This record gives sequence, structure tokens and C-alpha cells, in this order.
Amino acid sequence: MLFKIAIKNLLGARLRTFLNVLVTAFSFFLILFISAMYNGMLEHAKQVTMDTEIAGGAYWHPEYDPLDPMTFEDAHSALPGDVQSLVDQKKAFPVLVSQASIYPGGRIMPAIMKGIPPGQNIVNMPTDALSGHDDIAIPVLIGKGMASDTKLNVGDSFTIRWLDTDRTYDADEGIVVHIMDTENFKLDMSHIWIPLKKAQTMLAMEGEATYVTYEKGLPPVQDKGDWIPRDINYLVQDMEAIIAADKPGAQIMYMILLALAAMGIFNAQVLSIFRRGREIGTLMAIGMTRPRVVGLFTLEGGLNAVLAAVATLIFFGPVLWYFGVYGIPLPIDYTEMGMIVAKRLIPVYTIGLVVSTTILVSIIVLIVSYLPSRRIARMKPTDALRGKAVA
Amino acid sequence: MSNKNVVEIKNLLKQFPVGGDYFTALSDINVELEKAEFMGLVGPSGSGKTTLLNIIGGLDSPTEGNVNVLGIELGSSSHNQRAHLRKTKMGFIFQSYNLLPVYSVFENVELPLILNKIDKDERRSMVEQAVESVGLTDKMASRPNMLSGGECQRTAIARAIVHQPALVLADEPTANLDAENSHHIMKILVQLNQELSTSFIFATHDEKIMAYLRRIIHLDDGKITEDENISNPKAGD
Repeated sequence: MLFKIAIKNLLGARLRTFLNVLVTAFSFFLILFISAMYNGMLEHAKQVTMDTEIAGGAYWHPEYDPLDPMTFEDAHSALPGDVQSLVDQKKAFPVLVSQASIYPGGRIMPAIMKGIPPGQNIVNMPTDALSGHDDIAIPVLIGKGMASDTKLNVGDSFTIRWLDTDRTYDADEGIVVHIMDTENFKLDMSHIWIPLKKAQTMLAMEGEATYVTYEKGLPPVQDKGDWIPRDINYLVQDMEAIIAADKPGAQIMYMILLALAAMGIFNAQVLSIFRRGREIGTLMAIGMTRPRVVGLFTLEGGLNAVLAAVATLIFFGPVLWYFGVYGIPLPIDYTEMGMIVAKRLIPVYTIGLVVSTTILVSIIVLIVSYLPSRRIARMKPTDALRGKAVA
Repeated sequence: MSNKNVVEIKNLLKQFPVGGDYFTALSDINVELEKAEFMGLVGPSGSGKTTLLNIIGGLDSPTEGNVNVLGIELGSSSHNQRAHLRKTKMGFIFQSYNLLPVYSVFENVELPLILNKIDKDERRSMVEQAVESVGLTDKMASRPNMLSGGECQRTAIARAIVHQPALVLADEPTANLDAENSHHIMKILVQLNQELSTSFIFATHDEKIMAYLRRIIHLDDGKITEDENISNPKAGD
């Protein structure tokens, strides 16, 4: 019986129902969209890291610690048997890492110099730009952020000084052959990329490397010497730690969005219910009990939430889909701020997000329908019939 | 309570708290209303007629005294019992109609039957009969905002009588209507009273209504000043 009346009330109220549903649907949309943007940002950061840096995993020289440049000096050796086999099969590529100093425009700047095979196609880096420059002493690939910091352009030359394996300083002229536009700041900031053979020659470390990155889907090798296997889980753990550390922030943001939505819905529901004081009085006069009045208005709220979910799908679904496919262009390049943020951010709608948002918004709508109707149903029917305002 | 009495009120006192004090709205009220009576509570504004009507309707509770309506002692009954009494045995007509604005005439009249869980086919027939009795068959699908004041009040009357209650309480039912509509409404109510033996209690100070009443209880300052039986009402029959 209540259901029939609630349906009649909702459908009969036309504009009022439409506005209530629209407010709720808009709240649905905002929460979904902003949370999905946030998810998209994190997902993108992880994906970019895997795409441009990690691939399927790596074998590290036992001395290598990417967070401690002092280890670079000793972190090099010939590749263990099976690791070398992977490289020979072009299923992996070696990287030789060393410290260097560069002198762009007469300034001195510390840099991490990495030798990488120009022909590799395991990670998404434009390393092929390093090939075919036999006339250049040291062809150098840098990122846009590094180019901006050093004020270097393609064709500019600068001095590179390094310490070779015999602990002898040497220097030569590097020329920027390409500036890459990467979203992974870890490949960009303070990095100069040169051909692996050149690096091995410069450092007197022929046939040696610091780490080897292999393609996705390869099983672990047997003969890896004392090199340490680092799988994807290990290599993304920093990223995941950042995401985990950011979780409370995300939860707070989600709560703020929910609170804003709740306020909007509450406002619409309270206005709607309190304006219907006389209607409530009339329902009581013709024999509806207080619990039924409360039930009726709460049910209307619940149906409101259901309609809002449908309205979100109809009105905002295409918008969510469009952004989900084409993303949203961001006006700022966050790479320079040391953040992996896409230039075109694509929201990620997870089932968990959609389900939890639907449940939470529905609960909020039920609560904000229940509370004011309970209060108004407590009024004396005679006051309600007069349309007396609730204090 | 006598079997033929629909309402029996003894020593009713009604007070409202005002600030730290009490305002006495009704005192020493003793009334008996028999089945099929057509009675009016008449008096100036503030005399307590609406308060008495609300108490009889179980919308308000007495401070002291006994109020027995259709066999239920209202003073000691629960909210749910009073709601049940209103739902099954009472009808209300309000000055400002109190129709639900989002419902059509049919749906407004149907509402008490839905509350009484009457099945759909029977509901339709009862609504059509009630709407026909107030002459609104052609307005069945109209919403209240498409109706005149008289039509709204006729809809409210249909809603009040659709479940064939034993008692209809009408609070200033013609206050918002012109003379022609007022007479039309009263003629309908007289007819219903005669056909269905429904008891009617009006709260009014409208002389047009008084001309139809067969019993008038005069109230002044919350007290009954006169209980007048009229054997030949000026209008109505």
C-alpha cells in the first residue's frame, strides 16, 4: 500500500520529483566522476611506470640501489649467463648507470648518466633517437623537464664529466639529439640517456651493466649469479606505498564529496517534506498512523535514490562514458612538479566505486528522508493540518 | 454509551499551555450525538468549535473528561487506535479542502480506500459512486489546481464519504465558497446524510450552513451556551 502511494506521490509531483532526482543524480555523478578521476590518476601513474620503466621486471647488480647514487660506482659487472641470454634474445636490455656532472651553459649540475641500447623496444622510450650519430662524441637523450632545467635544446652541446672504472675523471662533449616527452618524471629529472656501448666505453666497463630490464611474461631465470631479481610487485611497491599513503586523503576527499552530496540531498528533501506538512496532517486525518507516514516519506526517499541512479545513467552516463574513453586534458604539465600525471586524464570507474557510491548515496537519501519526516510526523495532526512550520 | 449514540462527551475540559500558564479552550462540555444527526457547532472565532471538532475526530486529546466516539474512549486510546477509527469510521472535510495537489480527483477520493485495503475493482466502483454523488464524474482525471473552489470542496466531500463512514466532521466547509456553491455543497451533504444515515458535525459560523442544520450547539468562550433542536430546518429538505 505504501509503495503504491509513494509511487503515486513521486510520479504525481513531477517537477518536485524531477528536481529532487536531479540533485541526487548530480551528486551521484560528481562523486563517481571525481573519485574515478582520482582512481584514474593513480592507475595511470602505475601504468606509465610499468610502460616506460619497469616492463616485466629487472635483475639488479647486488650493489645497485637506485636511491643511493654513491652505490653506482660499484654497481656494475658482466651479466650472469641466463640474463645475458635474455639480452641476446632481445627479451631484455641492460642499462649501465653512473654518476656524472654536466655543464650546460657554463653551469655545473649533477646528473645520472644511463647507458641504454638504442634498439630496445621493451620499454616505451624513444631510445632509437640515440642511434645513427657516429659523428657525435656523445649523443644524449633527455626529457622535457631536464631540457627546461638545463635550458638545452636539440643540437645544443654541453660538457659531460664522469668517473671511469679506474677512478679517473674524464670529460667529453655531449649533444642533445632528442628531447623526449615522457610522463614518467623518473626518466626525466636529472637524467641523461646515452647509447649503452658509448657508456661502456666511456666508463671502461665493456660488456657490463647495472641492471637488466626484461619484457613482460618471462619466467625467472636460473643462472642469475648474485644478481637480484626484482619483479613487478617489488618495482611498483614504491608507487603502491605512495598510493597507500594517499588513501586516507582519498577517503577524506570521498567523505567530503559524500557530505556535500548529503547536504544537497538533505536540503532538497527537507524543503520538500516540510512543505508537505499539511499533506502529512491530511494523511493522518484520514487515518494514516505516524509510523506509516514516516515509512511513506522514507520510501519516497528510497525511490528517489533509485530514480536518481537511473537518471545518473541516462543524463550523466554519456558524459561519464565520454570522459572514460577520451579523458580530460589537463592544462598544466605536472611532470615538472615530480608527479606522474597524464596530460589527458582518464577516469577509471571500478565496480567497487559504483556499487559503494550507489549504496552510500541511497543510505544517505534514506536517512535524510527519514529524519525530517519522523520529526514532522511527531507534530500534532492539528498543527500539521494548519501547515504550521516545524521548529 | 448508548447504542444509538455516535458521540458521547462528558465533562470535557481542554487546555493549551501558553507560556507558563494554561488557556482553557473548552470547559464543562457535555454532548451526545445520535446516529444520522446533522448537527452544527456554532459560535464566533475562538469559541472552541474547531477544537471540539478536532477532539471528536481524535486529532487532539482532551485534558480532562470522557470523549467516546463510535464506541472508542478517545482519552485512553492509543494513537494507532484513533488513526484506525478515523480510517474506518470517520470522514473529514476541511475549510481549505486539503486535497493532495499531485493527485487527480479520482486518486484523492481513492486514498481512504487504499488505506482501508479495499481491492482495486471495488475501489474503482466506490470512487465512481462517490464522485458521481457530488457531481464530478467529468472531472475525475483533473488535478485540484484545475478545479474551482466548489469543485475542490465537492472532491473533499467525496473523499470524506467514499468509505461510507459513520461520522463526518466538517470544519467550516463553505468558508471559502460563494453562496451558490455553499448551497450546492450543503444540499449534497443533506442528501448523503439522508441516504447513508451518516452523522454530520459542522463547525461553522456561516448562516447559510445553519439554515440546513437540524441541531445547533452554540459555543461561546469554550462553553456550551445553547443546544438547539430544529425540527424544520429553513433549507435542505
